Amino acid sequence: MKLTVNGQEHDLGGIDPDMPVLWVLRDKLNLTGTKYGCGRAQCGACTVHVNGEAIRSCSVSARHAAGKKIVTIEAVSGRVADAVRSAWQRLDVVQCGYCQSGQIMTAISLLSSIRKPTDADIDAAMDGNICRCGTYGRIRKAIHEAARSLAERPPS
Amino acid sequence: MIPWAHGRRALSPAEERDTAPAMCFCRTMRSPVVGASIGTGLALLISVIAAMLWSREAITQQSSDPEVSLAAWDRVVTVLQHPRCSNCHQPSEPLQGESGRRHSPRVIRGRDNQGVPGMRCGSCHSAQGNNEASRVPGATDWKMPPRSMSWARLSIGQLCRSLKDPAKNGRRSLKGIVKHMQDDSLVHWSWDPGGTRESVPMPHHVFVEFVEEWVRSGAHCPS
Repeated sequence: MKLTVNGQEHDLGGIDPDMPVLWVLRDKLNLTGTKYGCGRAQCGACTVHVNGEAIRSCSVSARHAAGKKIVTIEAVSGRVADAVRSAWQRLDVVQCGYCQSGQIMTAISLLSSIRKPTDADIDAAMDGNICRCGTYGRIRKAIHEAARSLAERPPS
Repeated sequence: MIPWAHGRRALSPAEERDTAPAMCFCRTMRSPVVGASIGTGLALLISVIAAMLWSREAITQQSSDPEVSLAAWDRVVTVLQHPRCSNCHQPSEPLQGESGRRHSPRVIRGRDNQGVPGMRCGSCHSAQGNNEASRVPGATDWKMPPRSMSWARLSIGQLCRSLKDPAKNGRRSLKGIVKHMQDDSLVHWSWDPGGTRESVPMPHHVFVEFVEEWVRSGAHCPS
């Protein structure tokens, strides 16, 4: 069983092919930035990118991720990722931090498709990422801030 | 003497050439009476063929029997109104569970019926099928049907007429409706929904037979 994670192919030997990608990342590859929150695709803490799409890694098995490109919070990069990271830092979004990996991966996915999201777009995209600390207000502001910085600095 | 020669006397060689089949046909067609008859017959034949091609019901329906048709529809609609079907045949947001509760997490249809950026249907619902670890259902091409195929708050008569309406049902003929019920991957999922979700209680092949019977007997709808 081989998976491509963060640009690197990993030979996972004889793992259970039905192991959720979340546990492959955390237990087999030591990529613990992606979090377990519910295991039921309800909270969004486990969000990663698979072939560029935000996917809940608790709900996709290793066998079904084979041959696809998985990117985790540890390695997500690019203009949109940089803008989101900066906005998150500038606005001091994070409290306990547990949900933030999933929040950021979903926000990057949103801004990659919609460069100037409205509040309704943000609601629709982010509603499935739960934050027990209640940082939703700052998350929303940070997404708007990231969108502004992307608009101000068009790609060279 | 050539058998089809006209007249009683023997034909000269030149006349025999003229009465070769093609020429004979042409001469025949030149007759106003015969020509008009053949033309009328051809026009009638073309009309019949066109009517058959345009009206698929003429191909699929064998009789019109309202009583049989409505009895079959009563069985068909129990499936269409089952949560496995009706949960997704909604105007803007799919529903969940047996009670038709709001989908959690919140999702919306999106422009392509597959969610919105950041929250696509495929973010959770795998094309490879039900995920038993997370208990999230899945199937090939997981998405909502088009808005025109919403069945929310429709009576069984309204649902029937909506199902038959090509303007609402994805331009499907009655034959196309049968095929959809027979072959569609999301329809099939309703019989294998995974987790603790209730499967449609009627066997799939029995359901398709009722759909076919409904169509065959005239696809009548209750008022």
